[in-house]
Amino acid sequence: MAQRLIDWIDQRFPLTSFIKRELTDYPTPRNLSYWWNFGFLAGFLLMLQIVSGVFLAMHYKPDVTLAFDSVQHIMRDVNYGWLIRYLHSTGASAFFAVIFIHMARTLYYGSYRAPRELMWWSGQVLLILLMASAFMGYLLPWGQMSFWGAQVITSLFGATPLIGDEIVLWLRGDFVVGDATLNRFFALHYLVPFFIVAMVLIHLVALHHVKSSNPSGIDLADKDNIPFHPYFTAKDFFGLGVFLIIFCGFVFFAPEFFIEPANNEPANPLLTPPHIVPEWYFLPFYAILRAIPDTLGGVAAMSLSILIFAAMPFLDRSRIPGGARFRPFYRAMFYIFVVDVLVLAYIGSQPPGGLIFKIDVAATVIYFAVFLTLPFHSRWEERWLHARGLPPALRNLLDSASEPQPRREAR
Amino acid sequence: MKLRALSYLMLLLAAPATWADNALKDVVIDQSPTALRRGAATVTGVCMACHSLKYLHYRDLLKLGFNPEDVAGMSMGNKLEDPLLAMTPPDVSEQTYGRVPPDLSLLAKAREDGPRYIYSLLTGFYQDKSGETNNHLYPGIRMPDILGWSGADASQRAALATQANEVTAFLAWAADPRADERRSLGYYVIAYLVLLTGLLYVLKRRVWARLGQGSN
Repeated sequence: MAQRLIDWIDQRFPLTSFIKRELTDYPTPRNLSYWWNFGFLAGFLLMLQIVSGVFLAMHYKPDVTLAFDSVQHIMRDVNYGWLIRYLHSTGASAFFAVIFIHMARTLYYGSYRAPRELMWWSGQVLLILLMASAFMGYLLPWGQMSFWGAQVITSLFGATPLIGDEIVLWLRGDFVVGDATLNRFFALHYLVPFFIVAMVLIHLVALHHVKSSNPSGIDLADKDNIPFHPYFTAKDFFGLGVFLIIFCGFVFFAPEFFIEPANNEPANPLLTPPHIVPEWYFLPFYAILRAIPDTLGGVAAMSLSILIFAAMPFLDRSRIPGGARFRPFYRAMFYIFVVDVLVLAYIGSQPPGGLIFKIDVAATVIYFAVFLTLPFHSRWEERWLHARGLPPALRNLLDSASEPQPRREAR
Repeated sequence: MKLRALSYLMLLLAAPATWADNALKDVVIDQSPTALRRGAATVTGVCMACHSLKYLHYRDLLKLGFNPEDVAGMSMGNKLEDPLLAMTPPDVSEQTYGRVPPDLSLLAKAREDGPRYIYSLLTGFYQDKSGETNNHLYPGIRMPDILGWSGADASQRAALATQANEVTAFLAWAADPRADERRSLGYYVIAYLVLLTGLLYVLKRRVWARLGQGSN
């Protein structure tokens, strides 16, 4: 009976062949490490945020007089409302943590290089959509930090030459962040995830066309590929289990860890908190904004600090295959970049001051220098590696990769 | 517009005191049911003369182990489904103190290290040289020294410290009444996940063993 149903569907829709090609038989490099688990985790978190968000929206009221109270209603009166809300608020932080690791893995292993540029760029679009969604979602509880964060960030658009004030007014729908802003942010916070889902599908279609990169950084021969199921389903679900233990540790035992105390006070447009801090995942970019005393310059630098990732396929001029593993200089730059981002995050959380500002400027310069010097030192590194003789491990990989292969796109 | 800017500025000047969190006293808050009930009695009988706890309802107090009769005694004629509102109407308090006393439902979560903040504030009152009461944690506070801490001697202060501790315990509970439920569910969730993840690990090892070399 079941087989007859499947046959009926297969005559009209490629169900069995699709599952076979894209899931059960989908060829995956056998050497993927657990760093390749984070894309799957990001997909899980997207689903968690959408499901928990839908249930929150059933009880939430996007109205300045009701929003804060409705969150307390969810926390106190709705059945397991506290669980749904803490899953959602912790989920937002977890989403960024997972995405940052996912990006770091891509940078370390050079997965942004040909033929995966479109994956990297669709990922860049996803990052921006995620940031937009998180920013708008943060206004909804209508606490002090919600309000003042939105007030500060929307006012940054005022730095736009000539039409700055009009843009700010257009974004807020009012002269200050108010009921109009809250309503539209709620509408958009509900809408943007659907764009994210669409973009994730594009991301996955591109992935299944070019296939996964792998720690060696070389397109492996087909003999090194194994079917996604059961090998990577088993591996990914184990990774998900480990992730969930940490995640639920926060949800059940430290759910307020990611919530600013000031956000447990209702928004008060007449009372500015002395120290407005964005959520932790925006801190490095916020620090870059503050490193430049001129508002327009700061906003430009902050935007550039996010968009510059898209340039990676152009900036990296090295033809040495693989990521940081075979490229000592690139590897050093990667670690400098990671430490620099952590320093910027700390600086972004601190009140502005003399020494803080100096470190901020230095860290911002390093941030951009890492990207902008890449075209030069990646070329230099390539020449140096050839002059020194490629390491035997790399030579072996290159030899095995140059064996006759039925499928090899790009270079 | 000018007037508005001026009022912003004045509130800005007043603001830092609101967020001051220095010099918190090191204290362990007694979360026992008795302490919570005694704290609830002080809060409803004393604090709620001016402050509200509007996100709590009188029926919520039943969860602390009070009988309906006890709650009726504390509710001053309010029904069980009524929110905990201040006995003094907000506009009267505003006339007396210059602003509406803040709602206390979320205070323990709305300050850094909230419970210690509340305890330190309640026991931070002193009399300055001119005989005015002031507060170490919140200079210029408009709230009177309601426990009488500033005028008490050492033996009286021991009792007042216990009372402040109980009030803090109750306010911490009020800010997060689901905390116990959350934690006790959390133990089961984590235990389940650890077991599940252990099994998933065994499954992963078995599946990958089919590959022979078992690399990765």
